Amino acid sequence: MSMDRTELRDSARKAFGASSATGDAAGNWAKLSEMGWFMMTVPEAQGGLGLGSEAHAIIHYELGRSLVPGPVIAQMMLVEALAATGQSDLLDRAMAGGKMTASLALPTEDDVIAAVPDADVASHVLVTRQGSIRVVPLDRCTIAAQPTWDETRRLFDVRPPSASDGVVIAHGQAAEQLRTSLLLQMLLALSADSLGGAEAALAMTVDYLKTRRQFDRPLAMFQALKHRVADLKIAHSAAEALLWDRAAGRPSLALMASLKTHCTEAFRLIAEDCIQLHGGIGLTQEHPCHLFFKRAMLNCALGGDAFHWEEVAGRAVMETTG
Amino acid sequence: MSVTLETLRDDVCTWLAGNAPKDWREAATHEAFVTGQRQWFGKLVAAGYAIPHWPAGWQGGGRSLAEQKVIYEELARADAPRLLLSFVSTYHAFATLQECGNDAQRARYLPAILEGETWCQGFSEPGAGSDLAAIKTRGERRGDVYVVNGQKLWSTMAQYADKCLLLVRTSSEGAKQAGLTYLLMDMKAPGVTVRPIHQIQGDEEFAEIFLDNVEVPLTERVGEEGAGWAVAQATLSSERGLTLMELGYRMRGSMGLLIDLIRKSGKAGDAGVLRELGRLSAQVDATCALADRFLHNRITGAEQVGDASIVKNSYSRTLRAWADLGVRVGGLLEQYRKPITFGDLNTGNWMADFMNSYAWTIAGGSEEVQRNIIAERMLEMPREPKSWVA
Repeated sequence: MSMDRTELRDSARKAFGASSATGDAAGNWAKLSEMGWFMMTVPEAQGGLGLGSEAHAIIHYELGRSLVPGPVIAQMMLVEALAATGQSDLLDRAMAGGKMTASLALPTEDDVIAAVPDADVASHVLVTRQGSIRVVPLDRCTIAAQPTWDETRRLFDVRPPSASDGVVIAHGQAAEQLRTSLLLQMLLALSADSLGGAEAALAMTVDYLKTRRQFDRPLAMFQALKHRVADLKIAHSAAEALLWDRAAGRPSLALMASLKTHCTEAFRLIAEDCIQLHGGIGLTQEHPCHLFFKRAMLNCALGGDAFHWEEVAGRAVMETTG
Repeated sequence: MSVTLETLRDDVCTWLAGNAPKDWREAATHEAFVTGQRQWFGKLVAAGYAIPHWPAGWQGGGRSLAEQKVIYEELARADAPRLLLSFVSTYHAFATLQECGNDAQRARYLPAILEGETWCQGFSEPGAGSDLAAIKTRGERRGDVYVVNGQKLWSTMAQYADKCLLLVRTSSEGAKQAGLTYLLMDMKAPGVTVRPIHQIQGDEEFAEIFLDNVEVPLTERVGEEGAGWAVAQATLSSERGLTLMELGYRMRGSMGLLIDLIRKSGKAGDAGVLRELGRLSAQVDATCALADRFLHNRITGAEQVGDASIVKNSYSRTLRAWADLGVRVGGLLEQYRKPITFGDLNTGNWMADFMNSYAWTIAGGSEEVQRNIIAERMLEMPREPKSWVA
């Protein structure tokens, strides 16, 4: 990580603070907007910061680390779509923090768009269909809340009024390209978010083991637990190395997808053990363990799950190395 | 990447294209493999690529870690033989002599290494594996020699070695680390017997060394009597990172073997197999990225204690998973015994590769020892009380 990257990480860490059960959604949204992070990857000519996908991953890593609630991943997808298609009016609003949203599920052709964060407060939703991408005002859509176990995200099902409502921002080949680049962005964001969360969950668990005493000694002294924690640390380090490697490059969809499954599965592994290693308190809502666990489980399911993507990745390996 | 590094990469690449042996996997016996190793080492020395980590003035020495990384990346890419026979000589013996030896020892031994003299390491014993300081082989001072009696184990290629880096106990007083002394032993000396160990898959990469009243002159001691533990640390920390990066790259380069197997066994359309392949490929890439990042951190001085242990465990587990997928896809056919390939971890002889992968979770500091290092030194979890009474 270069110096600029370290600075970006440090300022994000400072802005979002420690993970907490009562995440300040409004406060964090304001900070993201103030720091210009919504416009991070937008070219400077369009009023953005012109940073690359590595910077994007750094911010999402810190968002995950602090369990920041809210629809940041969807917002950034909107910004990307509006910037790529030159929708300057909507883009300016979105970059300034005006909430717009998009589905965090794998794209489908269904009438109902699933897993749309904060659809009740956002102004527009991105509707991606084969061969056409539209921006539809949400006040014309039917929305239904889908409460999730993960309380740091608020998801909705959205039904646009008709198949042709809203503004078409891309069609044909351009729409396909944009759809892929949005998917790449979402997969990278979910990967980074997961590893940030995993880092915080692991650090919290190590601290707990050092503090909690049983049999007249800290739990951290037991080798059985040390070895488990060491394995979690290894899983996290390897996934993180892969994250920064892929974030700095221009990976294919299959490679970004295998990154996503690798990182979300690492988060899940760590968050699961975080509960087990905390013992009884880990099974309660009084301790933040459950927040990491639920976010990990949701991240595994968002953007296409491991069943789907690992097969895609495997097929790609068969083809590229044939 | 700087212009100098890219020039070096081009040079190495061009040289390897004309010089890297292609038939090294065809060695039918271990002796034939070792002969090939000697020839390959000689060629690398002459070309200036064998000892990039030695100081300037030596053939091809004085290379930065970044340059060394480029050389090893290209060796892996060209699928050149790994330098197994000369490894202990150019890394362990060199680092020990350079850091703790005297001028006479350096003058005598370092040039000889480049002429093909090979070293083995006499550290582990039947009763001293992970607990290395429990060494029992005795070194008794008589006049101007140490008389050595005992047994050493897991000594890489000792059956072909000319010299040995030997750790012996010269005192039983005080802490067990305090009574150790470091000697340079001639493997041809009377009383030295070497017996190759027949490994689980049929290779003979390691040997036992029996020492029966072997006389080692006092001039062959490295450091003071009783300072052996500190000298051994110099030996053991001589190479960290390049090997695992190279091995990671070679494993990634061998994904083709798995793909061929999947096709051959008619499983290219099996979603379950494809998923495992997809998952494994990410794991392999992650291990390579981790080794890369580790070296980068070493180059920039950002390495942390425990980092090397993370890379080693990540590599050894991934290697296990790589071979394991081959074993399972191959099924019954992989249970039929086939001749092994010497000096390679990713051969596509899947049962052999799978069994060989255990060497990486056991040798060079077992997986469990690495976990302790990660937990205790990196994550600062408290050590268990040391004393134990049966």
